[in-house]
Amino acid sequence: MPSDEDFDPHVLAEDAFIEEVQSFQFWFGAVEGYLTGQSYGHDPGMADPPLDETQRERLITTLCNYCVGETAALEGASGLVSLAPNHPAKIFMATQVVDEARHLEVFLRRLNDLGVEDTTTEIVRRANPALTEFKDALMQLVAAGDWDAAVFAQNVILETMEFTVFRSHAQNADPMTAEILEGVISDERRHFGFGENDLGRRLAHDPEGRARLRDVRRDLDGLVLGVFEGALADLEVPAADRHVLGRDYLETVERLGLTQ
Amino acid sequence: MADFLSQYSIQRWIEMCPQGYLENTVYGRGPDEHEPEAILDDTEQRDAAISSTVQLVVGERCALAASSGLINAAPDYPSKRFLATQTLDEARHVEVFTQRLFDLGVKKDDLEDTVQEHANPNLVKFAEVLLEKVGNGDFLAGVVGQNIVLEGMAFTVFELLETANKELNPKFAHTLSGTIADERRHVGFGENRIGSLVREHPEKKPEIEQMQQEMTYYMLATFADAFSGPQVQPAEPPTGEADFHGTNLATATPEEMEAVLSNTVLGEFKTRLDRIGLEYQSPPVPA
Repeated sequence: MPSDEDFDPHVLAEDAFIEEVQSFQFWFGAVEGYLTGQSYGHDPGMADPPLDETQRERLITTLCNYCVGETAALEGASGLVSLAPNHPAKIFMATQVVDEARHLEVFLRRLNDLGVEDTTTEIVRRANPALTEFKDALMQLVAAGDWDAAVFAQNVILETMEFTVFRSHAQNADPMTAEILEGVISDERRHFGFGENDLGRRLAHDPEGRARLRDVRRDLDGLVLGVFEGALADLEVPAADRHVLGRDYLETVERLGLTQ
Repeated sequence: MADFLSQYSIQRWIEMCPQGYLENTVYGRGPDEHEPEAILDDTEQRDAAISSTVQLVVGERCALAASSGLINAAPDYPSKRFLATQTLDEARHVEVFTQRLFDLGVKKDDLEDTVQEHANPNLVKFAEVLLEKVGNGDFLAGVVGQNIVLEGMAFTVFELLETANKELNPKFAHTLSGTIADERRHVGFGENRIGSLVREHPEKKPEIEQMQQEMTYYMLATFADAFSGPQVQPAEPPTGEADFHGTNLATATPEEMEAVLSNTVLGEFKTRLDRIGLEYQSPPVPA
């Protein structure tokens, strides 16, 4: 096990690389850096000046939708542990399970900070229907035991959407929310890296599999658009800038050869 | 319930586990610790160590499948979040015990064949009984099977192995001490959360007790297999005492070891099942 801080897993051969980056040990080293000394995703001594009512309302709606997305990710990732085709992938998925549960926990805690006591009711009331529908579609893929399609929906589509929205939000959020989001973004980067790497290798010599995932993508595209539109509108991102934010998703899909 | 479950948050888990007793460990042990040469250089001892470690891998793979499978069946978010930490704990256990197989000389390409060759069939059946409940989305039976029966067994087996290895193999003993700390948390959750659910669903008791009976049967059969036949003795017997619930493991016969292990696990089952309102059921056929 390399302990050198400068250790770069990319110098390893493919099999050794996969075993390294999909291990608990790697996760342990990765989160140690940005979670040490934090309490519920932020510096415990951080000031949290009150927001005005409009800002507070908008943030509550945004956080409620983050909770829907993170619940989907938690339930999706936990279902994927048993579907994973090998033990390194199972162990990676287990690290993702705890990451997603942490995200859910820090967003729920932030809702409590904003004065929301009954988070369950509030989340149901404010959930974007497209996101709820996306969650249902993801869980159907997991229940069907379809590893490739579920990893695509979860680790490529959902994680890239979250990464894009969280990154945009972190740029102009209040300081505490921004710090929480930075930690979450670091996790998401690992998750979609896994999705792209795993699918990229599996689809490289599987044109039929690629064609099948194109269909899955086509089925989900309308929901993805609805989720992006809702989230970016809640964040008051100007309509003209929204297409730029969808670029990460489109580029990933293109790298996987899943464009039409 | 909310106050008790707050003790099982991700934040608390991060403070206790990765930033607590696992800090500065590599694969659950000190970075400079190695398997003793006395084991690596002796084919018989090495094979015995591989065989016993395979049983730990089989048990932990079952625990990983069960805890992750129970997340979607959990009735509330705090339980889902606790099970998420348990999922990662179990994945870590799979990883550290698999790493021990590699440390003992098992080639990575031979891992699955080695596991298949050495896995005790009774332990495999024990796992199947539990995973059937999990597969059916039965949260109540799944948590009793996982967090009371499986974890109760693992906790005691790990304690016995840690006691037996403290002097002979500190590296393995340290790996075990981290897993014991995890299992203690898991058993605690099972007792706390399930007690209230059993009271809400008394009609589930007979089915859960039957599952416990079946799992206990296969567990005792696994112990009987492990302690039957010729036992491999360490080249240099430990000089100190290795006391485990009143039995000195350094001098105990295989029969005495099996007896103290079985009695300790069954005693724990009875106590914990009683706490959650279930009655321990003896196996239908003496194993």
